[in-house]
Amino acid sequence: MSQLAPIICDNGTGYSKIGFAGNSDPSFVFATAIATRGPSTQPTRGGPPIPARPGNLASKRGVEDLDFFIGDEALANAKTPGYNVHYPIRHGMIDNWDHMERYWEQTIFKYLRAEPEDHYFLLTEPPLNPPENREQTAEIFFESFNIKGLYIAVQAVLALAASWSSNRVTDRILTGTVIDSGDGVTHVIPCAEGYVIGSAIKHIPIAGRDISQFVLNLLRERGELAAVPSEDHLRVASKVKEDYSYVCQDIVKEFRKYDAEPYKYFERYDGEHSVTGKKYSIDVGYERFLAPEIFFNPEIYSSDFLAPLPEIVDDVIQSSPIDVRRGLYKNIVLSGGSTMFQHFGQRLKRDLKQLVDRRLEASVVSSGSTLKSSGVDVDVVSHKRQRYAVWFGGSLLASLPEFYTSCHTKAQYDEIGPSICRRYQIFGSAT
Amino acid sequence: MILLESHNVIIQTTLTDKAVKPSYLDVLFVDFDGVRFHLSTPEKKTVVQLSMNIRSWDELAAYGALDVLRREYGSLIRAQTEPEYNISLDIDLEQLPANEASREAFIKSISLLKRNALAAPFELAFRQQKTLEASGSSLGDLMQIHYRDEEAIYVRASPDRVTVIFSTIFREETDRIFGKVFLQEFVDARRQPSIQNAPQVLYTNRDPPLEIRDVPGLRDSEDIGYVTFVLFPRHFAKPDVSYNTVSHIQLFRDYLHYHIKCSKAYMHSRMRHRVAEFQKILNRAKTEVATTERKTVTGRTMVVR
Repeated sequence: MSQLAPIICDNGTGYSKIGFAGNSDPSFVFATAIATRGPSTQPTRGGPPIPARPGNLASKRGVEDLDFFIGDEALANAKTPGYNVHYPIRHGMIDNWDHMERYWEQTIFKYLRAEPEDHYFLLTEPPLNPPENREQTAEIFFESFNIKGLYIAVQAVLALAASWSSNRVTDRILTGTVIDSGDGVTHVIPCAEGYVIGSAIKHIPIAGRDISQFVLNLLRERGELAAVPSEDHLRVASKVKEDYSYVCQDIVKEFRKYDAEPYKYFERYDGEHSVTGKKYSIDVGYERFLAPEIFFNPEIYSSDFLAPLPEIVDDVIQSSPIDVRRGLYKNIVLSGGSTMFQHFGQRLKRDLKQLVDRRLEASVVSSGSTLKSSGVDVDVVSHKRQRYAVWFGGSLLASLPEFYTSCHTKAQYDEIGPSICRRYQIFGSAT
Repeated sequence: MILLESHNVIIQTTLTDKAVKPSYLDVLFVDFDGVRFHLSTPEKKTVVQLSMNIRSWDELAAYGALDVLRREYGSLIRAQTEPEYNISLDIDLEQLPANEASREAFIKSISLLKRNALAAPFELAFRQQKTLEASGSSLGDLMQIHYRDEEAIYVRASPDRVTVIFSTIFREETDRIFGKVFLQEFVDARRQPSIQNAPQVLYTNRDPPLEIRDVPGLRDSEDIGYVTFVLFPRHFAKPDVSYNTVSHIQLFRDYLHYHIKCSKAYMHSRMRHRVAEFQKILNRAKTEVATTERKTVTGRTMVVR
């Protein structure tokens, strides 16, 4: 009988993407939240209650440790008396191991319905994750769940692997710059041959949540939201962002286009009050192209963060080692839901190309030489699987035959201990 | 979550989604005990094909699994089974029941595919018990279901009861001990007045129970354990009781291993708590470093750089 498919588990700050290798979409996408019974203080402080009465084991303790919900069910139970929702992952790193262990427990047994002893696992970690965290993860997976084998991959590398599905990518390389924009924060991560260049990573405090907020502000200023019930405001704004927004190439021209022919470009959004069922509709106008514009002109939204995305990407690449810069410019990969805007890649490519060309010209002028640089290739890769790129990359890598040999197996773990997870092996790339 | 549910969540959620918005799909996934599923739309968007591969299909088919599935799914079963799989169902999304509640019930019944296939030998045993009781003859045949590579379920009907024996293997020594404690608790818990009607549970380590001692090829090692359930007619007299009995008993092995894992997770959280407590004590015991200012004769301070 053929081997059972490895399980890919991408636990992010907001959402967890879980599924089996070989599929193109995760089987489950739900909030990384756990609703437990007990006081609202973090149980790591108090610890589980110590039994009072002697007797047989069953009377000694109840089943409080099994009484919890994860994912959407956790959020649905948020208001049930006695339950409290916790988010075990903060800023991409696991914060509360007790909750995380139980979260995984229920993910595997309730949702995936897999016997962990029969499966290999591929987990993801954020860049700059301390090795102690990998060791803890390995301990939980090998000791609690007795899994067959474990591979912990860096999210950025998986996003690079996901870009192999694009038909513009011809060879499988793991060198490139990853722009990962989710809900909370945007990272720009350079990778050279599968290894993250930690010193050059940059974060941008603008991501999905800010775009929704910006759309909301615009709609409010125009007075569109008068008809919309206030509790629906944010939902409507994020719907407008997801369904109508695109990136324009020239903001002034775009404004002019809209003013000349408003009926052609203005869209109408129809909604329904979630409680009373009353219908309402609003006009969607300039926010269609202004929303993603905050990546390129952050001054229209925030007053403290002003560097546009292309500039940051350029900075990141310039602070990476000189021998990989060409590769980094040539392969800029997008990942995460907030990079899904139409023409996002083209605009980024154009702006970045301008920056690079200008610098090359300046260096020619200042050196006074007659030799001209042959130029630097700038290319941004967008593909269909961008939204769950990290998970998809994991699914792709784990279905390669080399995956099994690159994994740390249970036997190795028993022989050496959790420290084996400090080392990891790159595989799957053609070079 | 104390009990594992018997339906497959992926089938349920996917079909519920697709019923609203049909689209092409091609998903591979698993269920407990090495069952593999393939959900796809080979011809058109609105016809979803669900195929299942189950390790012990030949044995199950011999015990009437196909009849049970025909009873449950009727015309949904495809004549042409997808290669590499044991059974295929065709679900036409356009012909789902229009009513919300009955549609949910229909989707739920599809997600119970594995349960229904595995239910066959149990249902057969329950029927056998009735005929044996009526005719007063001795023992029914021993049914073996090798549902995992090294583990099996044995079911045998007698005139007054049905015996179900699980063999299970603990790869880890810790698991074996947890399992032993856990199963002893089962025996103890039955003494409580509220659950006296529960089936009798016996647990033996290494030595197979008498009922299956003569089965050839049993593994003789320290890491194997046998759990015996004795089901009396009251456990399967009424249809709904018998339905529940079957659902619970076939997931017993996974239930056991799930709880061993949960116990370990509980132990780990206790350990983490203890370590944090000890660390607090150690931090309190830290001697403060004497930081007296040292001055030269001229009155200047020495600074450590």
